Order: sequence, then C-alpha cells, then structure tokens
Amino acid sequence: MPTLLLEIGCEELPASACREAEAQLPELCRTLLGVAPAHVLVGPRRLAVLVEGLPERSPDEWVKGPPEALRDRAADGFARRHGVSVESLEVRAGFLGIEVPGRDVRELLPTQLDAVVRGLAFGKPMRWDDSGLRFPRPIRWLLAKLDAETLLGETSYGHRFTHQQVEVASASAYLEVLRAAGVEPDAAERRRLIVAGLDAIGGWSDPAGVLEEVIHLAESPLVLEASFDERYLQLPEPVAVAAMQAHQRYFPLGGNRFAFVANGGNAEVVRAGNEAVLENRLEDAAFTFERDVAQGIDRLAERLGSITFFAGAGSFADKTERLRQLVERLGGGEASLEAARLAKADQASELVREFPDLEGQIGAEYARLAGYPEAVCSAVEEQFLPDSASGPLPQTDPGKVLAAADRIDTLTVAFELGHRPTGSRDPFGLRRAAIGLCRLADEGDLRIERSDLAPEVRDFVEERYGSLLDVPVEAVRAARRSAVSDLGAVAALARFLAELPDERLGPVHEVYTRAGRISAKTDSASEVDPALLHEPAELALAEALQRLDLDQVAERRFDEALASAAELAPVVEKFFADVLVMAEDSSIRANRLRLLRDVHEAVGKLGDLAQIPR
Amino acid sequence: MALNYQEMIASLQGFWAERGCVIMQPYHTEVGAGTLNPATTLRCLGPKPWRTAYLEPSIRPGDGRYGENAFRFQQFWQYQVILKPSPDDVLDVYFASLEHIGIDLLRHDPRLVEDNWEAPTLGAWGLGWEVWLDGMEVTQFTYFQQMGGLDLDLIPAEITYGLDRLGLFVQGKRSVLELEWAPGVTWGDVFRENERQWSAYNFEEAPVDVLARRFSEHEAECRHLVERRLPLPAYDQVLKCSHGFNQLDARGAVSVTERAAYIARVRNLARAVCQLQLELEGDADAAA
Repeated sequence: MPTLLLEIGCEELPASACREAEAQLPELCRTLLGVAPAHVLVGPRRLAVLVEGLPERSPDEWVKGPPEALRDRAADGFARRHGVSVESLEVRAGFLGIEVPGRDVRELLPTQLDAVVRGLAFGKPMRWDDSGLRFPRPIRWLLAKLDAETLLGETSYGHRFTHQQVEVASASAYLEVLRAAGVEPDAAERRRLIVAGLDAIGGWSDPAGVLEEVIHLAESPLVLEASFDERYLQLPEPVAVAAMQAHQRYFPLGGNRFAFVANGGNAEVVRAGNEAVLENRLEDAAFTFERDVAQGIDRLAERLGSITFFAGAGSFADKTERLRQLVERLGGGEASLEAARLAKADQASELVREFPDLEGQIGAEYARLAGYPEAVCSAVEEQFLPDSASGPLPQTDPGKVLAAADRIDTLTVAFELGHRPTGSRDPFGLRRAAIGLCRLADEGDLRIERSDLAPEVRDFVEERYGSLLDVPVEAVRAARRSAVSDLGAVAALARFLAELPDERLGPVHEVYTRAGRISAKTDSASEVDPALLHEPAELALAEALQRLDLDQVAERRFDEALASAAELAPVVEKFFADVLVMAEDSSIRANRLRLLRDVHEAVGKLGDLAQIPR
Repeated sequence: MALNYQEMIASLQGFWAERGCVIMQPYHTEVGAGTLNPATTLRCLGPKPWRTAYLEPSIRPGDGRYGENAFRFQQFWQYQVILKPSPDDVLDVYFASLEHIGIDLLRHDPRLVEDNWEAPTLGAWGLGWEVWLDGMEVTQFTYFQQMGGLDLDLIPAEITYGLDRLGLFVQGKRSVLELEWAPGVTWGDVFRENERQWSAYNFEEAPVDVLARRFSEHEAECRHLVERRLPLPAYDQVLKCSHGFNQLDARGAVSVTERAAYIARVRNLARAVCQLQLELEGDADAAA
C-alpha cells in the first residue's frame, strides 16, 4: 500500500500555530483520509504528514434503490439519477440497486487534501490575498506525493538561506531529502537536538519556559554559548533573566553566561551579534536602574499619589494607606507595616515600566539597596505569591500578611465598584486573588477573620475552596455555613466533614436534619419558655441543649464539638418518640418548635450538614 | 567596501524604486513610526493598489537618553515600504534588499520571530514578525489586517527597516553613534547634540498644561475638519494629538487610567478620518 506525503509550506509560523496543527492533524487525516498519519511533522516553515498504508482504492459501494416490486414505476428514475441504464440495475435482497465501484485514491486525494488544509482551525488566522484562505501566516506552496507520484505542487524547499528548491523523489524519502537540505522537520527531533546541546554546555535554566517556542524558531537548530560583560551583574538578577528570556529567548547559564539557539550562520559572528544585543538591553536596563536607585525607594513611594491604581479605586498612595490598615487588622508587626508602606513604590520606577512582570521583585531589590531589614524586603518580594492554584506561598510571615492584605484590598475595592467577574471576563484577576487568599489562609495558616471580609467578597472567596480543595463540594458548602470564624477554618472543617466515617456523622446529621425539617414548617416561639415544658423527654432535651457548648468549633476543635453534638442524638430520638411536637395547644406547639429550632441552630455551628448527602 | 549611512538609504531608495514603488519623502509632522505617515495609513484603505517607499524619522519623546545610550533615541530612522497587495515573493524580495545593502545572510542568522503588531491609537493591527539578525530586531514586517477599525480590502505588506540597527550590521559597528553617516562624519556628529537637547525638552521642559490644552484643541479641530469632509488635514490633527499624547507620557503626566482614555480619544479620531477617507474615495470612483 502506498505512502502519502502532504506538505503545507508556509512563511514562518508562530510556535502556537505549530502546536495547534500538531494537535489537529492526526484526527483530520483519520476523518478525511480514513487513516491516521504515521508521522506529523510541524515546524516554522512547513506542516507535513506522512500517511502509510493508504488503500489504493476506496471500497465499492452498493447504492440501494427502490424495491424490486416497484420496478415498473421507479426503476427508470433511479437509473437516470445515477446515469446508468435500467438494464444494468441489479437485484439484492428484494431491492434494485447498483454497485458503484470504488475510486482510485489518486482521484480522491486532491479534494481530500484540500479539505485537510482548510480543516485546520487556528486561534489567530490572517488573510494575505483574495483566495479566501485564512491561515496563521501565508501558505506559499503545497506538495503532495503518493509514493513517487506528484499529486499537488512540484517541489519542496530546504532551509530558507542555505538551500533552495529540493526535489522529493518519493513520499518516503521526505525526511531524508529535507535533512540533506538543512531542515529538521520533526519537532520532537529538534527538541532532542536542542536539549542535548544545552545539556552538553550544562547548568542551563529556563524559568520562563521559552524552550517550547524555541523548538519552532529554527529549522536547523544550533545551540551556542555566549556571555555578557560582568559589569551588568550589578543589575538585579530577575532583570537580567527577563532580558534574556522574555525578549531574546535565551537560556541563562548562571553568572554572565547564557546559551541560545541559532538557525544557521557563522558561529563566531552570530555569537558576537547576540552578545551585543543582550548588552544593549542590559545597558538600557542599567540606565533606568541607576535613575531609579538615584531616587531611592522612599522617594519613589512618595510619588505614588500621582499613579492611579484603577479607575475609581484611587491612587497607589491610597492603596498603600489601605494596605497599612489591613496589615494592622491582620495582626502584622512592624516589618509588615513597613513592607506595606514600600510595597507599591516600584510602580513609580522606570524599571517596572520596562519589565512589568517584575513588580515586587524590583521593589524588594530597591528596598535592599536602601538598607531596609531583610524581613521587609522579602515581604515586598513575596506580596504577589501565590500567583496560582499551585504556585509557591510566601515563606515569611510579613510576606503572608502583606500578600493577604493586597488581595483583600483588590477584591474589596473591585466588588465595591461592581467589577464582579463574569464568565471568562476577569480583568482585575479577582479569581486568582481569591484563590491566593484561600491558600494563604489554609496552607499558609494565616488567620483571616471571615467577618473582616464584605459579605459579597467573603462568598466569592469561599466559593473558591470548592474547586481548590480535594473534597466533595458539598462538604465545602456545609462548612461555609458553620460558625467557624476564620477563613482557613472553612477549609479545615470541610476536610474534617469529608473524612468523617458515616457512623460518626450519621447520628449528628440525623439530629440536625430532623430538627431542621420539622421546625422549618411552622412558626415557632421567639424563645423557649421553660414554664411550658412538661414532658420528661422535652425537659431532658432542653437541659441537654443547655449543657451543649459548640463554641469549640470556632477554635477548630471539631472532633470535640462533634462528640458533644453526638450526645444529643439519643435525647432527640427519645423526644421524637415520646413528645407530640404538633400539640393542639398553639403555645405549647410553638414552644416545642422553638426548642427544635434551637437544636438545629446549635448543631448547625458544625456546618449546614444537610448539604452532605448520605 | 561597506556602505555608509547615507549610501545605505540611497541604496534602499534605488532598490525599491526599481520594484515599482513611489519614492516619497519624510512627512512634515511628527510621527512615532513610518506607519503613521498618511502615505501608509490612508493609502492602505480601500481597493486601490499602492506601492511606496520612504525614509521616516521616528519621533518618540519617551525613548530619548540624552545621547548617552548607543541604541535608544528620541529620533531614530526608519525606512518604510508598503506593497499593496502583498506579492507572493515578498519575503524573498525583502531578504534580497538586505543583501543589496551588503548584509551576508549566510554569515548572519536571520530569523522571523512572531510579532503581532497593533497600534491602539490607530485602531490598526496586523500579523507578522520582527526580523532578527543575530538576535537583534532590524525590521518589523506586518501584513495589515485592519486600519482605523476597518477590515482592509487588499492586504498590504509593510516592511519597516530599523536603519540605525541595520547600519550596525552593514558597517560592523557596535554603537549607532559611531556609524559613519557620510565620509568623515558620524551619526553622533549629526544627531548627538540634538538628542541631548530634545531629551532635556521632552523630560524636563515640555509644558504639561499647554500640551494637555493643545491636545484638546487639535481634537476639536479634527472633528471640525471631519464635519467639513476634509480627511487629509483632519488626519494631521490626529498625528498632532498622537504626538502630544507621547509628549505628555514622556513627562510622566499620564496616569494609567488617563492613558486608556487618551488612547481611546485618538483612536476615535483616527477611525472617523479613515471612514471619511474611504467614503470620499468611493464617491470619486463612482463619479469616474
């Protein structure tokens, strides 16, 4: 069975487009050609598939016509529609029909391959002529070969600068021909070559993850080592790393060394050029760095009044004042307060304008240069942690306090201004802020009073535990309605409830739901009147309730609280067995309902247990 | 023998003139990039083919470094080419132009690195690349998709050469200031003092309140000219607003929020002018 090659030759595609094509081509081939490709080869200048074992012909097809009984009335029309004579119709299982022979794959492929090209869907397509085609960059050639036979196009092209047109003698020779023409079309092989090159140099790092893009930036990858002038080591390390990675896609090697991937050229010339480029960038960073340092972090902090946090939310100076108050409320000490004062100072720096992703890190560096204690500097540095559901937390207590204050402020102000996230729209990153707050409280053991959060904010924040914690969402819902007073305890209680064995949860759950169900139905008294209690079982229940103290919940002593609540179970059971709640006397009835409602509310300090299915 | 700076410019003029471009000259109003010259912005609208090439001083007040940085200037030089519609071999022709000014593409490492161009003040965007030579961006290459918020009928290819950086490769120098402009005269001789004085003006002296007032005046004048159906002079007012905004920004007088508001104001003007220009072209075609 023959081998098929389809090559879509493009102007240099973005890495993201290469990945999109790589993900879609197998399924497109399976659907449109009937066979999955043996190789999917994507890179900056070409997307290609090699399909092996393609059938020579499509299968014969039986086209069923009218029943034989209707031959006189319907056969003519059916035959005409299919362009055959009535005599040539066959009969199978009582029906007329025709056997349409399968077609040669060579006839089918041009249409099918066109469908493959048009079937690719990209996030950022463009137009380049009036063909109506949309693709991430212009398509400049197509080549399709079935073994040695050319179905579409004429030739392929080698490396853009070292080679020109190349003849592909047959589909199966494709890889060999391109490799001889300075092109490695296989992305996995390019990755292997690049990683091997980096490993051979050793000590490389890639904190920003540029490797995934670099794989698609060269057809003929060549890993080179280079260095920059040591005087730029005075710059904060994150600045040098950002200049290397974000702008130049280099791999830092530590100190003043770096590695990069070229696509050709004279190694000495290319290395010298790349070194000059990086030094230009570092020189410019050094210019802004020195101007910032000449001002110093305290003067930068004084300029925050003229920089808007966001519309309606005041300036960064206003934000700074709010941060100080929040830090105090969170029990932060002197270092946290000082860190709050300096936290946003780098927003006034020129270096943050050039490297916005380094906010916090640059401020911390400037605080160090100004001689502030390390506890203050590291808190400034850690204020944006954690930045995701899995990223690292601040290591220091002042860092945790400042990080929490920053998020509480952003959430509070944004909600006050009505910027609640909707669908995928979350321009202020409120979901991330809420997740960060949840994690600071839970994993970071930072005490954040629930009552300090505006109700709308509190709901929004606590909802995040539903997806953040590895417990059933019902346990989170139950815990959110408990009497716990700090945010982290919501998580702790949700975990406690989710892990409870049924024999421990069951009796308490029963007390809570039964008392809740009946007392919710009718009006109860506003409080229990002891004078109206007569039956021994109701007196016993009232007394047990008096003794019950579930304030342990607020202190996270869930186990003890549950044990206390469990002691109510036999008393409540006896109450329901002996006492008629819905007594005819309305005041006695209302009193008993009140008693049950009190039971419900007291046990409810452990959470809205009815949320948990049993 | 390597070309000096003015020979490099002349060489590009000749190269693109031979390929059917109308050779224009720099525009008389400050532009942050050659793209803003009406020979690009307004001519890219509509269904008429157009090829042009011209030198353009790019004026960016915030980028000045008092002439003390070898690579950043408040006025630097671009060479701008528009090919509308873009020919199939446009990249080959572009690379041939680099060889034409003396760059050996086999000695260096030329790359096309994704760069999706967007000019928020123009309501314009396109897809393309920054062209690297040995890691240095020497050209911005863009297939325009929209201008003034309008989808384009014919897709133009825009080639914006960064002449100062290309000069480094052509002459094998490491500082723009040391490039030879003409025999015995360096880039620095011609422009260094200019950089020092303009940086002082842009960062220290430019009067914020006057600039803010002028912005509003140019805005009003633009609206008036749009009403009078005079898109070409109206467009100059857009340019003056755009430059005025850049000046205010360089003085650190624009907060983050105001920034978005200023950009929106310029964009609205640009959009109105572009729409009017298209309408008038349509009317003229109908009359013909």
